[in-house]
Amino acid sequence: MNFLDVRRETVFLLRKKSIALLLLAGFLLASFSVWTGSVDVAQQHQTIERLLVGDSVDREEVTHKHHDYGYIAYYTFHLTYAPPSPLAFAALGVRDIYPWKHRVRMLALEGQIHESDTPNPELALAGKIDFTFVIAVFSPLLLILLLHDLRASERAAGRHDFLVVTARTRNSLWPLRTAILMVALWLALIVPFLLGCAVNGVGIVDVFMISAIVLVYLLFWSVICYLVARLAFPAPVLASLLLGGWLLTTFIIPAVGDVVIEEAYHGPEGGNILMTQREAVNDAWDLPHQVTMDAFLETHPQWQGKTQTTSLFEWKWYFAFQQVGDEKALPLAIAYQQTAEDRYRAAGYIALLSPATLLKRALTHWAHTDAPAAWHYEQQVRAFHAELRQFYYPFLFNGTPYSEASLADRPVFTPYKNTER
Amino acid sequence: MSNTVLTVARDEWRYWQRSRLAQSVVILAFLLAIASVWVTHTSVSHSIDQRQHQQAESEAVFEAQPDRHPHRMVHYGHYLFRSPPPLGSLDPGIDAFTGNAIFLEGHRQNGATFADRKQASGLTWLAKLTPAFVMQVLTPLLMIVIGFGVMTREREAGTLEFLKVQGVSPFVMLAGKGIALAGAGMLILLPLFLGVCLTLLDGAAVVPALAFLASYVIYMAVWIGIVLLVSTLASSNSSSFGSLVVVWIALCLIVPRIASNTAGVLVHSPGKLETDFAVLKQLREMGDGHNANDPAFKALKDNLLAKYKVDSVEALPINFRGIVAQQSEADLTKVLNDFAEQQMTQQADQAAIARQFGWLSPMIAIQNASMKLAGTDLENYHRFLREAENVRFDFVQSLNKLHAEGMTLEQDANKYKSQAAKKAATVSADNWQILNDFHFTPLPPTQRFANSLLAMTQLVISLAVVFGVIFYAGRRV
Repeated sequence: MNFLDVRRETVFLLRKKSIALLLLAGFLLASFSVWTGSVDVAQQHQTIERLLVGDSVDREEVTHKHHDYGYIAYYTFHLTYAPPSPLAFAALGVRDIYPWKHRVRMLALEGQIHESDTPNPELALAGKIDFTFVIAVFSPLLLILLLHDLRASERAAGRHDFLVVTARTRNSLWPLRTAILMVALWLALIVPFLLGCAVNGVGIVDVFMISAIVLVYLLFWSVICYLVARLAFPAPVLASLLLGGWLLTTFIIPAVGDVVIEEAYHGPEGGNILMTQREAVNDAWDLPHQVTMDAFLETHPQWQGKTQTTSLFEWKWYFAFQQVGDEKALPLAIAYQQTAEDRYRAAGYIALLSPATLLKRALTHWAHTDAPAAWHYEQQVRAFHAELRQFYYPFLFNGTPYSEASLADRPVFTPYKNTER
Repeated sequence: MSNTVLTVARDEWRYWQRSRLAQSVVILAFLLAIASVWVTHTSVSHSIDQRQHQQAESEAVFEAQPDRHPHRMVHYGHYLFRSPPPLGSLDPGIDAFTGNAIFLEGHRQNGATFADRKQASGLTWLAKLTPAFVMQVLTPLLMIVIGFGVMTREREAGTLEFLKVQGVSPFVMLAGKGIALAGAGMLILLPLFLGVCLTLLDGAAVVPALAFLASYVIYMAVWIGIVLLVSTLASSNSSSFGSLVVVWIALCLIVPRIASNTAGVLVHSPGKLETDFAVLKQLREMGDGHNANDPAFKALKDNLLAKYKVDSVEALPINFRGIVAQQSEADLTKVLNDFAEQQMTQQADQAAIARQFGWLSPMIAIQNASMKLAGTDLENYHRFLREAENVRFDFVQSLNKLHAEGMTLEQDANKYKSQAAKKAATVSADNWQILNDFHFTPLPPTQRFANSLLAMTQLVISLAVVFGVIFYAGRRV
């Protein structure tokens, strides 16, 4: 095999109308996905910008309106959010299902954190084309169409035996043609991606990693197509076999796996968390303050001796029962989260049988748009909410007179910067 | 003539019986259809039971609350659960993407929480094993695999010319092949037919259920037409197969997602969080209903004083705080509803754009027809949200009425002074029987049928176009 072989075969293959059309389709679709993905991510950034402005205006107004730590803590919302990573344009992931923005205040967190500001469910049902979809689902189909009749078409044209005997080496015919088509498809798909990376400021390491992962994925499907194409059946039968394999691994195994996993892992219903928290918080109104305070002191012993109340309503008691309500619901919330994590982990094993799902998990992992990234954000919100409590408790329990200056030290949510790994 | 048609069909069936590929495809499709109907029906029936149970429990818990200050019950709140409609067990539609419980309380419109998707394995990113998905996406591909060669095979084998010479017109051929494909299609649709019978037993309305079935029959006919057409036009088995797969990829995988991307980019729908700012701002201007001394309520106060001809709120025969609570809830609800309607309109606009793509892809058309007839589409979800808001407003206002009439302003103002004063500012638990049994029902059957007409028209026109072209192409065979 030499350079002349490569050039001759490349020119021959690319001159075929069907091949050129398929490559063009791949290029157009990849471009469309990169374009709409970039618009989507830009909209997410703009939303965050607007929220930040609105949030600070709102907080300013609340701060001027109230002059008491209790009221301030009650009425002040704090924006928490997870900005999309530069790579998010290529893997939109589950950000349309899991929340990535909240406004929390010092009330019981379990009542706030499960709210999701979900976009249009009917669009979510149709799904979106992102680069991940183009690669994981669509590119194997293109490969199947490009490669299944590699030999069958030559056989049908009567050139097969002639080509085989005149080939310079064994590799300079079928493997070479397979490789050329695969690389051509890779280029058609990756060029729009590279443009998207430049626009979105993706780091060079990520660009290389993703390009390499995509190449490996195409290589995997090319090898399968190559092996199947060797069988001496007519082209439609070969394509049916390949399509069957694609259908099975891409759609059927994941769908059946999901049914199995749902049956295998049961956790608490989400609604039960809210119910438990609500009961705990509401019952506290009818309980003697001491009962709430005793429960509170178990986790906050540093306020021992400062929990007496003189009125039937005091803010420190109010926030203490919010805390106690959260603590009551916490085991359920942990179990709920555990179920989600168990299911996601089990899905990882099923993904081993589904290359498309495996690729999607890998890309969304790199783009921080998968379920674990969403959980990480939820943990951040929990940590921030805990900081807020740590900030207000001394004022409430020590009975410190209000001073607006002290609010300067109030915790501020710092989003996780997804710029590099 | 009709005998010849049947002979052609029978011959095609005999060919499939000898072909292992065709056999395995039909068996696979049939099994998938049965499995999807069984799995989805089981899981949807389970969640119907569960949500109805949760709904009953939620009402019982509310009504079992002890004597309390009514405003406490406003914040205690109430839960509503949405049960899927009977046909939802064949097409769950957007059910997995929307929250299925909603918490109702004073001064706030909460979104529906806990969509099933949040606890899912993540494996269903492409599809869930539902009858809708199997029928809409998978069966067309399987029809292609068994049918791509119906005409090209005869052409490649040279039998087409032979038959023509014998006086078999191309239309008779096409009709026979069409009947053969329709037979396979009906076999694959059989589990869906049984599923529809099951939902009728579960209480599904007859008209939407029949239309539901009919829409899938038309959809199947469109695909049979596409297969016949491409096989007629193509010169060889390979090109027929390749073109059909390209058509399937475009219609079932690509166009629906292009529709969704396009709708999302064309109509921007800001989330609830953003509109909340505007609500909070208006709220501050309207005054906080917890604070009867808020200057915003001065006009209300002056009106009441004039009406009852007294000169202080203490002298009013009703509790001024309760009146303020009622008034501010009503004002606030107006604002909240404005924003909620705005958001629903944006979502409906997005959906309307996506649905127009049904003219291009029968898959989008069947998806919409099916969801609309099943009552699991966006309109029905919005209906749930609106009904929930009505329930919320009614129960909050009846509690606020108790707040105004069940105690004096003095009792209310002093409720934190002592245990006895607190007790004086409560109303009896007998008053908590204000909830009606909530049971979400989708739009009435005729309305659902009417809503599906656009999608149905798209399907019928696709069918007409495909068969029109076949008629044209048939003359030139």
